[in-house]
Amino acid sequence: MDMICFEDVTFAYEKENMVLDHLSFSIKEGEQVGLIGANGAGKSTLMKAMLGLISYEGHIYVDGQEVKPQNYAAVRKTLGYVLQDSDNQMFMPTVFEDMIFGPVNYGMSREEAEERVEETLARMGLLHLKNRHNYKLSGGEKRMAAIATILAMEPKGMLMDEPSTALDPRNRRRLIEVLNELPVTKLIATHDLDLVLETCDRVLLLDDGKIAADGAAGEILRDKELLERHNLELPFCLAGVRVKLRSDT
Amino acid sequence: MNKTEKALREIQAMGELAAMDSPIHRLAPLAKLLVTVAYIFVTVSFSKYDMTGLLIMILYPVAGYQLSLIPVYTCFYKLRIVLPLVCAVGIFNPFFDRGIVMTLGTVSISGGVISMLTLLMKGVFCLMASFLLVATTSIEEICHALRQLHVPKILTSLLLLTWRYVSLLLEQVSIMTQSYHLRAPGQKGIHVSAWGSFLGQLILRSMDRAAALYESMELRGFHGDFYYAGQKKMTAASWLYMVVWIGLFILMRAYNLPQILGSLFV
Repeated sequence: MDMICFEDVTFAYEKENMVLDHLSFSIKEGEQVGLIGANGAGKSTLMKAMLGLISYEGHIYVDGQEVKPQNYAAVRKTLGYVLQDSDNQMFMPTVFEDMIFGPVNYGMSREEAEERVEETLARMGLLHLKNRHNYKLSGGEKRMAAIATILAMEPKGMLMDEPSTALDPRNRRRLIEVLNELPVTKLIATHDLDLVLETCDRVLLLDDGKIAADGAAGEILRDKELLERHNLELPFCLAGVRVKLRSDT
Repeated sequence: MNKTEKALREIQAMGELAAMDSPIHRLAPLAKLLVTVAYIFVTVSFSKYDMTGLLIMILYPVAGYQLSLIPVYTCFYKLRIVLPLVCAVGIFNPFFDRGIVMTLGTVSISGGVISMLTLLMKGVFCLMASFLLVATTSIEEICHALRQLHVPKILTSLLLLTWRYVSLLLEQVSIMTQSYHLRAPGQKGIHVSAWGSFLGQLILRSMDRAAALYESMELRGFHGDFYYAGQKKMTAASWLYMVVWIGLFILMRAYNLPQILGSLFV
């Protein structure tokens, strides 16, 4: 069954400047999809369209329901969205309060929500952050906590906008582990192509609002020519040594 | 740390005060809100010459700060900008109201001086009580209590978002000021030639961030209700706190307790 389905979706801030240009594709339940593309390709806009945060032409279906105002609550409960900037996501005073915000708003009892928050924090190894004030968290901690706030809602699918930004190598590794353990549909928009290789089976390459390539992650991310044509580069792990070290000169 | 950052930290520290644990913190927000409103209402209702009657009203903030484990100086420190304004409210009263109402030894005291002091006390007491509420109750809990009193969603949401956006605005000011000073060494403040673009950018950035933050709230099911802040129910302790204090306020207003106590010894 399709979890996400785009049918001829078009969006433009100004008429002549298409951000999403007649997009049609679908993502099956349980698929792990990487959304890649250069800056301004339309990755974030595509995610916002799925959640009804922008008005577009065409049709988008999430878990069988069309994205339209009367279905927004159900769609947003189905798809959790991890924002690019954690500071915009973490608006409550403490991590715990931030995590409980979503589940309780979606009708869960406080006791149940508290249990779920504990479980999520434990699964992510973040129990030590539970009562910390958000403004005292480091960039990496805030990133992980922001992901935890969405996981606490137990969505069927997750949309992540640059999830590895601001993470140090160890936290990035932990994030990859967490992502691989999550049994939900994932759409990850990122420039971190190595992360895509480790977490996604399929890749959508977006350029100028159109899908330039759609296929297995291993195939697309090995295609140097294709990537360079769309202002991207091979992932570091596949590129071999292509950096000339200053110390060697 | 620049001035804006300091201001931001102070606002954020209010959240830490509200997250403390004390008998007052554990009470239902609705009880605290109603007691505060009743206190302010009773305090401002004293007549301008009734200084002795008003004195007893200090009992509530003093007891409140003791029970909440929040030092009183925290209140005065945080309100240091507003306090002089409160003090200035009645500053001209002694010039307009010169009628002598009492003498202390050889010193005659005019009605203007008494009314100025009464106004000053009213202002300080009300500020202390309001601060006590904010320092022991999170903004979400206050909004939840207001919703319980059927205050329209639009007003409570406005209150909540104003609180949040003040922090955002300060954060943006701090980032932009820092960036400005790094490229304008030795300058004090922002040069007048940069004011226009600085303010314009500040508004645009703040609006962008405010929109993103609100989107994030909406995506997690926020529609103006504060279900997530309603875990502190009206327990017996909350009812007792509310009934006892409101009863005391009425008693303090109806009878001049300091005068009655004084007359016992004279």
